[in-house]
Amino acid sequence: MSVLARSVGNAFRNKIRTAAVVAVLAVAIGLALSMLVANQAVGAKVQELNASVGTTLTVNPAGGQGFEGGGEPLTTAEAETAASVANVTSVVGTKALRLQTATTDSTTGTGQQTGPGGGFGPGGQQASVSTNLTAAVDAGTLGNRNNTSGTTGTTGTQPARTLPITATGIGAEVDSTGKALDITSGTGLGDYTTSEAKALVGTSLAEKNSLTVGSTFTIQDKTFTVAGIFDAGTTFGNNAVYVTLPEAQTLAETPDELSTMIVTVNSMENVDSTKTAVQAALGTDKADVTQGQRNLETAVSSLDSVKNISLIAFIAALATAGIIILLIMVMLVRERRREIGVLKAIGARNRTIGLQFVLESLVLVALGSVVGAVIASLASGGIASALISSNTTTTAATTTQRGGGLAGAMPNGAVPGGGMPGGGQGGPFGGASQLLTSVTASVSPGVLAAGIAAVFAVAIIGALVPALLTARIRPIEVLRGE
Amino acid sequence: MIVVKDLVRQFKSGDRTIKPVNGVSFELEKGSLASIVGKSGSGKSTLLSLLGALDKPTSGDVVVDGVSLAGLPDGKLTEYRRRDIGFVFQQFNLIPNLSAVDNVMLPMEFAGVRKAARLQRAKELLEQVQLDPEKHSRRTNRLSGGEQQRVAIARALANEPKLILADEPTGNLDEQTGEHIIELLSSLSRDHNTTILVVTHDRSLAQKTERCFRLQQGRLTEEVRTGSRR
Ligand SMILES: Nc1ncnc2c1ncn2[C@@H]1O[C@H](COP(=O)(O)OP(=O)(O)OP(=O)(O)O)[C@@H](O)[C@H]1O
Ligand SMILES: [Mg+2]
Repeated sequence: MSVLARSVGNAFRNKIRTAAVVAVLAVAIGLALSMLVANQAVGAKVQELNASVGTTLTVNPAGGQGFEGGGEPLTTAEAETAASVANVTSVVGTKALRLQTATTDSTTGTGQQTGPGGGFGPGGQQASVSTNLTAAVDAGTLGNRNNTSGTTGTTGTQPARTLPITATGIGAEVDSTGKALDITSGTGLGDYTTSEAKALVGTSLAEKNSLTVGSTFTIQDKTFTVAGIFDAGTTFGNNAVYVTLPEAQTLAETPDELSTMIVTVNSMENVDSTKTAVQAALGTDKADVTQGQRNLETAVSSLDSVKNISLIAFIAALATAGIIILLIMVMLVRERRREIGVLKAIGARNRTIGLQFVLESLVLVALGSVVGAVIASLASGGIASALISSNTTTTAATTTQRGGGLAGAMPNGAVPGGGMPGGGQGGPFGGASQLLTSVTASVSPGVLAAGIAAVFAVAIIGALVPALLTARIRPIEVLRGE
Repeated sequence: MIVVKDLVRQFKSGDRTIKPVNGVSFELEKGSLASIVGKSGSGKSTLLSLLGALDKPTSGDVVVDGVSLAGLPDGKLTEYRRRDIGFVFQQFNLIPNLSAVDNVMLPMEFAGVRKAARLQRAKELLEQVQLDPEKHSRRTNRLSGGEQQRVAIARALANEPKLILADEPTGNLDEQTGEHIIELLSSLSRDHNTTILVVTHDRSLAQKTERCFRLQQGRLTEEVRTGSRR
């Protein structure tokens, strides 16, 4: 018999009571662990969202976004100005083109190929050029509606039930929102600053037109070779072509013009100040500077509050577990007063007895933790989702509307990255629903272990008080009656 | 050698104070076997608890081998109880959920005896007090009064104490087993030079001790023996 063996034995002296104590402890510990898991999961999500908000700024011509509005186009010189602003690591210019499918009917095309200012839409930013490619997206109701409204300015019959394809000239291997391109086969374009008849084609567009790496197609009667196929992750994003920036500028016949600039800032903290600095450098009359996916910030801040709530709940549940242990052990010490007196009478040191009681409480906590961990792994996903959905309802509602707006706008051929928040990424609403599922999925053993360590630490503190009380019991207690 | 000097222990019960021990003085040679007799409630257990450092006297002192208990801190008193004293309680005070062997092993565990050694000694001691071997591993709350009494005696002997204080050690035993226990105690005093002080109502036990004290009205008087000790 050792102190430990005696402690374990004592923990099971009254089995019914032990079961009750373990059950109560398990609920408290389970709740604490669930809260910790929720806290960690939400924390990870916040980080992920922050990272996806990223460190990029988007610069559009003042008064114009995408194909909307007017104003003067951005120029290569302005890109250099932006690049010289402090904390800016890179500036990538893009030039958007609208590729219109040339039909076999020889009379069509000319009306659609009138260059900047012509073609669809009121904007002057997008050059419409012809191609032999067919869009991978069916027009559908939205497309037809958009095309109808978009062609009100032109006369003549409607050739198009086909949607335009977005071609973007890029100054680096990033998509129009500044994210690195995910090239699934083939290679990139190599040097993005020279004019070359090579292109990157989105997966669905490639499939629709039976293009593989090495295939050729035409834009404005010029033959392009497919250098690589990329996957943007969305149907709209994959109905696109990327060429080098000078190539796009040549095709559009506007050598120095840029549709947008993607400015990368060196760190998250500097994004806000750099945004102001770039805006100042370019002038408010020349350019609008926006931060990509800005509206995710609301989601992030409400998630932050969920994180705080779960942290407080974790601490509260932990404290509850500690108090339960404290009360149970105080009760046990009172109940075994006489026995403690006997142990002292036969020569047990105070610390031996104290240790015995602390160990006994740890046995109870260990059992409670096992059951609690099971409870936590079953319940934490639900608890986390409940916490998040109740806290982000408002955010979700607003983002749903935005999402709807985007869905309508996208098939219109809006140039991605033209300040459209979350374009091509499923939008912030996608982020929010993604968040619910990923939070549910992440009960990591590491977090559970850390939580259980915290529970044990609190239990030791809780048990220490009654254990120290045993030191005050005098051995003479044994001579008194029960 | 134990020297008891003018020991007083008083209790307050309500508005009056009682003094079951009121100026007790005596000396016991090392290795002697002595008994204390007295009426129920005369203060025998109270006196024994003072000698065993379970309780502190109101005044007076107990000096064991030149060391005054009055001057010792609690930690040293614990060590004194662990190393030097074997106490047989009137109500046995065994740990009910532990087996007989485990109870006997407890004082040895506190004294740091290795596990194998203490198990062996515990078994030997239980054999010496004639506890049925099949009851060695039985929980003590499932033993009879007499069996518990013998486990309590075995536990008191565990650390080979120099002073054994036994409160009615034969009170629950049949005559024959009682005789055996008395024999065991006197052999310890004879062969191991252990000092033994027994509280008893049993006249025949008192007869067999070298010296016999009577506690009356808080004072101890030695009964004068005419015949020789057998
Ligand atoms: N803690 C206490 N508080 C008050 N009175 C006490 C206390 N302990 C003992 N007494 C009283 O002191 C007196 C002596 O008690 P003690 O137990 O020493 O008697 P005893 O001689 O051992 O009796 P018995 O032979 O019945 O065991 C009794 O009257 C008892 O009521
Ligand atoms: Mg008594």
